[in-house]
Amino acid sequence: MHANVSDLWKKEDWQAVWIGFILIGIAVLAVLTGWFDFSALKFSTWSVGEEAAVKAVPLGTQLASWAFWRKCLVTVLTLGVLFTLGVKLQGESIKKYLPAFLCLFIIAFVVRLISAEFTLNRYLEWAFWALLVGLLISNTVGVPTWLRPAIRTEFYIKTGLVVMGFSVLFSNIAKFGLYGLGIAWIVTPIVIIFMWWFGTRVLKIDNKPLVITLASATSVCGTSAAIATGAAAGAKKNDLSVAISISIIFTILMMVFEPMIIRWTGMSQLMGGALIGGTVDSTGAVVLAGNALGPEAEQAAVLVKSIQNILIGFIAFAVALFFATRVDNKKGEKVGAGVIWTRFPKFIIGFFAASLIASFIVLPLTGGAEVKAINGVLDQYKNWAFVLAFTSIGLDTNFKELARNMQGGKVLWLYVVGQVFNIALTFFAVWLLLSGVVFDIPVLELYK
Amino acid sequence: MKPKTGRIVTLVVAGVVLLVAVYIMCRGLGLVPGYDFGAGAYYYADIPDYQKIIKDEAYTTTVPTWVHIVLFLAWGVLMYRLWKRIDRP
Repeated sequence: MHANVSDLWKKEDWQAVWIGFILIGIAVLAVLTGWFDFSALKFSTWSVGEEAAVKAVPLGTQLASWAFWRKCLVTVLTLGVLFTLGVKLQGESIKKYLPAFLCLFIIAFVVRLISAEFTLNRYLEWAFWALLVGLLISNTVGVPTWLRPAIRTEFYIKTGLVVMGFSVLFSNIAKFGLYGLGIAWIVTPIVIIFMWWFGTRVLKIDNKPLVITLASATSVCGTSAAIATGAAAGAKKNDLSVAISISIIFTILMMVFEPMIIRWTGMSQLMGGALIGGTVDSTGAVVLAGNALGPEAEQAAVLVKSIQNILIGFIAFAVALFFATRVDNKKGEKVGAGVIWTRFPKFIIGFFAASLIASFIVLPLTGGAEVKAINGVLDQYKNWAFVLAFTSIGLDTNFKELARNMQGGKVLWLYVVGQVFNIALTFFAVWLLLSGVVFDIPVLELYK
Repeated sequence: MKPKTGRIVTLVVAGVVLLVAVYIMCRGLGLVPGYDFGAGAYYYADIPDYQKIIKDEAYTTTVPTWVHIVLFLAWGVLMYRLWKRIDRP
């Protein structure tokens, strides 16, 4: 197994890096110069009922707008051209890929339309609906052979991750000083290691990529961390489905019950918010659960979570290195740098490079507002890539396989035990740092 | 615990979790009327107008950023070594 120079343009891993950087480059150019609008299509929230939010825009109004279809065209053309070029360089047929991609994009369009509905997007959003729509098609009418060339889950995920790297701003590390670092960073790797040990040694789950994917979803930040580490560990499509489904369902419970329990214990807003930021998986749920406790709790929760968000790249890097040197090295031989390089998933380098460029080059040169505007554009491309990936997963999965991947319930217990450990350890860190018993209580400047 | 009992307990727990999640979703619990997002916003950039919620200047630290970075990397390396040690056969 040795690397060729042609791998740089023929291999999916490298192609994901180049496509990601092309998207980032165009977005940076578009935002900084203002010469053109590179925004991808995004559905505004719409509603079938009367309980719609003030910001909801009727679906008919959206579909009747020229800007909507122009953005749709920009999205399908940009992604279609880049992915088709990649597939061609991999030696596949454009004639077979292009029509299949267009059909997959139409399915993804329907998924995003569904997941923009007011009631449906409150708790579940695109990852869930993409899986569900894909599963419904594959388990009812079936997937036609001509659509299969577009089902390239890893390609879309890796590309989405490189784009996402640009939004992982390392400067956030000092946002909550040593308090934030202590709560977010001391606890996270310990929880991952504990869940690894518990999953592989106590529960004896053979599927190590599934264990690490679920562990990072639990300890870092749910779906986005699961996607990154799952890809880094070479997790199968079903592993990702299982890890994300469990994380999403428990997030719904935790965002409601955790603030209730915290209030019942009489914990301060600062401590409660930090506990929520460190333990509730998805960022949206963190903000809501923090808000339920009060403005100070919301601020603390957001600060801790934003530090956890930057961990994604480092955890994915460590997981890729660990799997390249240990898990994939079944003979236990000493692995040289060349072999590590060959085995190492290259898109992780792209993810990391994008994060470092955004944090240490673009941010200092242009300022926070510009970087946020660039990320506003890139976020939609990332979401389209992930929706294509999750729809592909659904199309390629059957319910029996999914049930088998639960390993007789062991995966559920891995999550439950891991999350309880996560809560207990985060509580200890929060108490140690924010209770005022050992250290001074920090003062947060509230924006509300 | 016998395997059959274990399976029943697992099924009951999974069923209760699913039912409670569906109940929460049906009742719209945990949502904030002023916010145009829910738990489905997985990543911070998925939150509409996240710039207004996730502000940078809520806390000012006197500790230099490089100290944070050194501590961050040191703890990361230490934990990676621990992970390798724990994974030994």
